[in-house]
This record gives sequence, C-alpha cells and structure tokens, in this order.
Amino acid sequence: MESGTQNCLPKLVIDPSNIGPPRRAERFFKYFCDQEYFEELQGDLEEKFFINMKRLGQRKAKSIYRNEVLKMLRPSVIKKVKTQTQLNNTAMFKNYTLIAFRSIARNKLFSAINVVGLAISMAVGLLAITFLAELNSYDTFHINADRIYRVINTAYEPNQDPGLYATTSPLTGKRLKEEFAGFEKVVTIYRNFNGDAKKGDNTVSIRGLVATEEFFDIFTFPLIYGDPAQALKNPMSLVLTETSALALFGKTDVVGKIIEWDRGLQITVTGVAQNPPRKSHIQFNAVGSFSTLELMNRNNPSFMSWENMWNSHVYALLPKGEGIAPLQASLDKISEEENAKLKNWSIEMGLQSMSSVFPGKKLYNEIGARMDMKTVNSIVILALIVLASACFNYTNLSIARTLKRAKEVGVRKVIGARRAQLLFQFIIEAIIISLLALFFAFFIFQLLKPEFLAMDRNIQRYITLDLALSTYLYFFLFALAIGLIAGFLPSLALSKLRVSNILKGVSGIGANNKFNVRKLLIGIQFTLSMAFVIMVTLTYKQYKYVLGYDLGFTSENVLNINLQGNDVQTLINSFSQLPEISEISAASAVPSTGGMWMDRGKYIEGNDSLSLYNLHISPEYLDNLGHTLLAGTTFSETQGRNQIIINEQLLKRFQMGEPFDALGKTIRIQGKARNVIGVVKDFHYGMLDNVIEPFVFLGDPNEFNMINLKVASTDIVATMQKLEEKWIEIDGIHPFQAIFYDDRIEQAYSKLASSMKILGLLALIAISISMLGLLGMAVYTTETRIKELTIRKVLGANGTNLISLLSKNFILLFLAASAVAIPVTFYAFKEMVVSQMKYVIDIGALELGSGALIVLIIALLTIGSQTRKAIRTNPVNHLRNE
Amino acid sequence: MKGTYLGEFQEIVLLTILVLEENAYGVTIQDEIEQKTKRPVSRGALHTALTRLDEKGFITSAYGGATSERGGRRKRYYQVTNLGKSSLQEARSIRDELWSRVPKIAFQS
Repeated sequence: MESGTQNCLPKLVIDPSNIGPPRRAERFFKYFCDQEYFEELQGDLEEKFFINMKRLGQRKAKSIYRNEVLKMLRPSVIKKVKTQTQLNNTAMFKNYTLIAFRSIARNKLFSAINVVGLAISMAVGLLAITFLAELNSYDTFHINADRIYRVINTAYEPNQDPGLYATTSPLTGKRLKEEFAGFEKVVTIYRNFNGDAKKGDNTVSIRGLVATEEFFDIFTFPLIYGDPAQALKNPMSLVLTETSALALFGKTDVVGKIIEWDRGLQITVTGVAQNPPRKSHIQFNAVGSFSTLELMNRNNPSFMSWENMWNSHVYALLPKGEGIAPLQASLDKISEEENAKLKNWSIEMGLQSMSSVFPGKKLYNEIGARMDMKTVNSIVILALIVLASACFNYTNLSIARTLKRAKEVGVRKVIGARRAQLLFQFIIEAIIISLLALFFAFFIFQLLKPEFLAMDRNIQRYITLDLALSTYLYFFLFALAIGLIAGFLPSLALSKLRVSNILKGVSGIGANNKFNVRKLLIGIQFTLSMAFVIMVTLTYKQYKYVLGYDLGFTSENVLNINLQGNDVQTLINSFSQLPEISEISAASAVPSTGGMWMDRGKYIEGNDSLSLYNLHISPEYLDNLGHTLLAGTTFSETQGRNQIIINEQLLKRFQMGEPFDALGKTIRIQGKARNVIGVVKDFHYGMLDNVIEPFVFLGDPNEFNMINLKVASTDIVATMQKLEEKWIEIDGIHPFQAIFYDDRIEQAYSKLASSMKILGLLALIAISISMLGLLGMAVYTTETRIKELTIRKVLGANGTNLISLLSKNFILLFLAASAVAIPVTFYAFKEMVVSQMKYVIDIGALELGSGALIVLIIALLTIGSQTRKAIRTNPVNHLRNE
Repeated sequence: MKGTYLGEFQEIVLLTILVLEENAYGVTIQDEIEQKTKRPVSRGALHTALTRLDEKGFITSAYGGATSERGGRRKRYYQVTNLGKSSLQEARSIRDELWSRVPKIAFQS
C-alpha cells in the first residue's frame, strides 16, 4: 500500500474511491453471486486484488479482478433463485391474501375508490370482451370455415377512388369452375332473391338467395329433407328453410311439393334446410337454383358478362392444406383476360377469408350482415382508454400510500422476504382488488348491456351480448391482467424500499420520489376526461346542426309510406278519404336520407353530358314537400314522362343562363329526349356528406316506391291506426311501413347519434373515474399536510388561501392537460367524426373551452370539499399530539 | 462409488488444505496451488472444487475474524475431515499399489 501511494504522490492527489477493485465488476459480481458465498468470495477476490496491486500495479490487478469475476460465472456460484420460494408458497400465499383483506378493510375509502373505479371501467371492458367474443364467433359453425374464401372485386374507374365490392360477376364463378384450378369447389350466389311464395292461401315473403348446386357442400347449412348435392341442380327448384316451409305448408316434410311464385311461375321444393344460425353473415329463408336464373337470362348477354359485378358473390373451398396462391393466380388470369375487353375501367379480384368477412373491411354490396372493422376497433380502443384511466387511479393511490405500508415492507425484509416475494405480495393485493371489482363490474355490465345494445341499430341487429361459458373465463383472465397492470408500478415502488431507510424514519420515502409519475398519470386522466367532454359537446352540436339544417324543402309532418309493390293510385284514393290527410304525393325514394340514384344526361343544345342525380315524383310532390319553383311549373298529369324539372346546379353546369332561359330546353336521359319544364331551388338530395350536385326530377309513375302524406292531426296514434286499417284492406300480406320524414332523417344520421351516445357514456365514466382518483389524492394530500394546514390556519390563513395552496399543483396539471386535450380532440373530431361531412359546425373557443371548464369546476369542487373539511375542524385536535 | 470419487484437482485441493494447516482459506489455497502446479487457478474453479468436497463431506469450514484488507469481510477457513483424510489415504494406497506393480523395465528406456 505504502509504496503505491508514494509512487503516485508527485503526480496527483489520489481519489480514495479510486483505489480498490473495479467498481462495475464488483457490482456485477454482487448481482449474480449467491448470497451464501458472497462474503467469502468477495473477500478473497479483494484480498487477492490488493496483493496483486502491490506486485503488479493497479491496472494489472484490476484486469485480473475482472477476469476472476467473469470466471465466477458458474453454477456453483450463481444465485439459485428457485430453491427458497418453493418451500412455503402456499403458506405465504395465504398470508398475502389475509394481509390484503386486512389492508382493504383498514383503508375503506381508498379501497372503495379503487374498487368502484375499477368496477365501472371493467364493466366497459366486459362489454368490449363480450362484443369481441360474439363477433369472433360469427361464421365459425361452417365445418370448412378455415378453407372458405370469398372473391371480392376492386373496380378502378378514372378520376375516382377504387371501389371495393363484396360482389363479383357470375362469370368469375363460371369460368373458375370450367377452366381453372386452385380450389376444391366453387359456388356462385346471387343476392336479392326477393318475392312472394304462395301455396293455397298461405303467402310467405321470401328474402333469399339463388345459388349453384355446391352451396350446401361448401357451407354447413344442413338439410332436413332432400339431397344436398342435387337440391339446387335443376331449374325451378327451391330449398326452403324450416320456418318458411312451416309458414307455407304447416309442416317440414314437403320435398317434391310445388309452390307458386310471382308471375305464375311454378317452383318445386327440393329440400328443406335448417334455419341458418343467427351468427352467420349469410342469411336466407329460401335458396333457389342458379340454373333457373341462367335459364331466365339465356337471351340476356349482359347477365353472364364481366361487367355485371353488382349482385353475385363467389365463394371457393380451398383444397386441404393448400394456400390461396393458386386460386389467386387463376383469378388474376381471368381479370387480365376480361379487362382487355373493357373500356374506361378495370376490375381486379382478391380473396377474403371467411373469418374476415364479419366483422371486416367496408365493402359495397355486402351479402348480409356487415360490421365495419373500424367501428369494432374504435369501441375496443375507447374501452381500453377508460380501463387505463381506472388502472391509473389504483397506481396513483397505492404509490401515494407507500408511506403507510413502508413499515410492513421493512419488517418483512428484515425477516427475510426477498424483493420478488414482496413484488408478488403487492401484485396479489392488486389482483384481489380487481377480482372484487370484477364482481361488481359484472352487475354494472348487466345494467349497461341493454343501454349499449339500444345505442346503435346496427349493433342491435347482429349482437345479443349473450354470455358463453368461455366468456366467463375471459372475464377472469381479464381481471387478472388488470390487477397485474394496475399493481405493477406500486409493487415495484414498495418492494424497492430499503430497510435502512425505513427503519431510520419514514421521512423522504416513497411519496416524493414518485411524484412525477403520479403527476403524469393524473395529467393523462385530466386530458382524457376533457377530450371526452369536448368530443361529446362537438358531436352533439353537429348532430343538432345536421338535423336542423335547411335542406331546401319542408319535411315537417310528412309521413312516408312504403308501397311494397302495391298500386299507387289505389292507395292514394284510399288514404285521401281520411280528413287528416291534406296532401298526397308519390316519389321513387326519400331524398336526403342516404339513397341516391344517378343517370347520365346529355344536354343536346350545349353538347355536354353529366352524371345527374334523379328522383321520380308525382305532380303534387313539389308542393307537398315545399320545394321552391324558380321558373316554370310542375309536371302535368299526362306528359310527365317526357318532362323534367332541374335544379340550379344543373343550370349552372350546362350553362343554361337564367332559370327562365332553361325552360323548353332538351336533355337526353335514359335514351329519351326530355323537355325542361321547371327549375327548382337547390335542395339537399344526398345527406350532408355530399355537396349539392346537378339533379333532375323525372315523372315516371312506374318508378314510384313511396307515397308522401301531409298529416295534420292532433292525435297521431289514432291517425296511424286509421291509415294502417286502410293499408290492411288493400294489402293483407306485407306489414304497414310508415315513418315520418323527420324521423327518417334522424335515422339516417343515427351513426352520429350513436357515437354521441357512446362518447357521452364514456365521458361520464371517464370523468367519474378521474374525479374518484382526484378525490383520493385530495384526501391523501390533506391528510399528510393536515398539521401544516392547521398551523397556517392558526397563524391567520383563511379558507381561500388554503384551497389555493392545495390546488396550485392541480391547476398547473389542468393547464397542461387542456393544452394537450383541446388540439387533439379538435383534430380527432375533424378526422374521425365528421371526416365525410361537407357541412360542419363552426368550432369556436366556447365549444372547446366548455369541456375543459367543466372538468376544472368538478376538480376544484372535489379538492375544495376536502380542504374545507380539513380546516373546519378544531386546530387543537390536529396539533395536540406530536 | 461416484459419491466418494476424488478428482485430480480435488485431491490437490485437499492436500493443499492439509499443507496449509490452520491458514487454509481461499487466497492461500489458490496461491499455494498456483505455486506448486505452476498453472493459473481461478478463484471460481477453486470454489467449485471446494463445494464438491464439502458436499461429499471431505472438508468443513468456518468463518474467521474480519480483516480490513478484505473490506471488512470475513475469511472462511477450511479443514479436512476424517472422511476426507481416509479418502486421501485410499487414493494414495491405490496409487502405491499400482506403482509397486509397474515393472521397472518400463522406466528404463
């Protein structure tokens, strides 16, 4: 030692910490070495190090030391982790559980806040789990589900986004079957096989499919009677479902019987199938044979054309153990050959597995059930956000209360608990809390369930949220996971405490170290609550704005009735007998509710052509719906078919000049020259997702599907009853379908309404959870600072001083949170809620600020109430013992 | 048989402990072996051998007093048990017996 110091003296003052074995190697050794041998080995190494240092110098000695440490990496030296914990697992587990329950019982307020917060958010989580589980069980009943793929089309047109279709041309199915390989079987299905089937006095309205003979081979829809391979082979054959067979015949054993179809067609029943399961995206109450359709269209070349891709679906069954590549190659070959014959547009084909159909990506012309993957994802993400918020509460409150558990940790460590055991203990505690919460969450879930289903018509149609046995297992695993996540950080903090610090005194442990994490978590909760509130405010305003928007016509008190194939005039005559009906008109559709019809129109004089939206109306329509005629008149009763009424946009696009100038001009539509007899003021034909485009009113009575009644009645229910009676006199088969125009518009925007409701519910939950957390923090802060507060009070501080003292930190957090929440929500609203809409509210400071303000007020009330409670007690109570 | 088998290195360690008498702890054992065999011995390897010998019951150990040159850590002194000694004897007698049977001629070339 002495010689070493002498050598160095002239050069520099030695840093004493620098003499000795290399620090990092030492620490590393300590990390991996078994406790039992550490003292001996470390001592030996160190002794050897100093011997070496004398002989060989510090540098050499250090390098030898490092080497020695590396050579210590052998089984006999390295810590044995398992041996000890195996010994008394069950006993310790019992002990942890007992302590957990005691600590829950002792801190009733904090436990209640944790359990309630977790329970509410877990109920949302359970909802999401049930929802997902149910969606995932769709279409799994097919025996070959994993081998069934659907052909989907992408249509490319110039100047338009590619269109994604669930349909393809019947030609695809035919060519695949006849010329190509890569699949075991292929079926072509034609959508929209609708009409009335009659047998004697019984009539059943059929909503079915037409399919080739492979249908019952590929899909698992078992036949009760009939031969699955032959049932759809011959023209004029039909497979009924149990229900429709019972409705027609009163029994199910009806193979070989004949039923009457529209236009006097005679169809033979060749099979009776079980009703398709609810969880099938393909639904039908009858399946007709595709050969019938081919027979009917034998003189119609466009039926079997590549361009007829709007109504038929092709599903293929892959051979066992093979991928989709060969089939995709066949499809590519077909589209290459067929696209060569197309002008102006082209079609590409792709494949979609059975499991990705429902829920799946958004496709046009879906065969049955549809559920946008985006909707599903957003529901899951929102649920996760709420869950995270509740986990934050647990984490926050537990870390804050580290102080109170410190002694327990200290004692356990002294007795010999390892860090891993303590970690385990506190995680078990979190899991017990989360299991408790699960119990309550289950009841809240039962309450939320009907609310959730009622929120969205689409969800209600496909989802029942019935609980399967496996769902309960998911619930349990979910609770375990939540406990783990929520308990992880606090457990880490608690198990990290050092015995020496704890036993020296509690000051400076825990609470302050983790303050930044806690601030961050509370900040995130604030941000989420604000974001939800702002989002709801904006969506609500947009919804009101849309419903109150001046569409350019009057929809008030107009009742639309679906003709369902009945004669217009008969119905009009019948309904007009009622005194409550002041005006009646007929039309082909209900504008401004989503459906849009379009044709090409050519302006002969201007030699210009355009896509024109259209609606067929009766002469009374314009008056009945309050349209404003800028020039000309409405249709005349007899000339209707050759006349058109145009809107201002069309006037502008075809450059016809003033409204009066357009009268008498000719536009060719559907191959027929038509005279302009009137010009109406622009109105919204599409929903507010679309701007106003060129549009014409046509007057072909054959196209009418709806009649519009102007109802002036004080007793709507009675009037509806009378109308229904009139309907039944004329049509005894189809149920009366009538809906007020305003209600229909509201339905059209139901997506907005349901996102508003969902967001509103979540906002409420998010706020309650974060306020529960804030309450917990406020209670904790006042508790720990009670003496300080009392002394301040004694020295003359008033309530306002103290509240501002305690809420100062929260206000800063609040400002930071609003700085994040406001722009993010603004962006999210623009991009997600109203991205499709062309007419959007002006978003001002008021809308954005109000959400933030609400959260601030509730937060201040929470903190204020606690502070008030604390300072109103007699100072003596808090100061007398120290 | 396997339990009492004495490896070559283990035998050297046992003998070294006996040689060092009262002063047999990690550093001295390591130094002694390195000096006598002229080959480097890591403390880790020595530890493994000592553990094995301890498991077989050939040695016992006890902590000594703390000294400052070891950062206050105690030394662990090793002693050979009677079982260890008899095992050494046995190994030696096997060897002696074999030696006595080696024909002298084998070393004459």
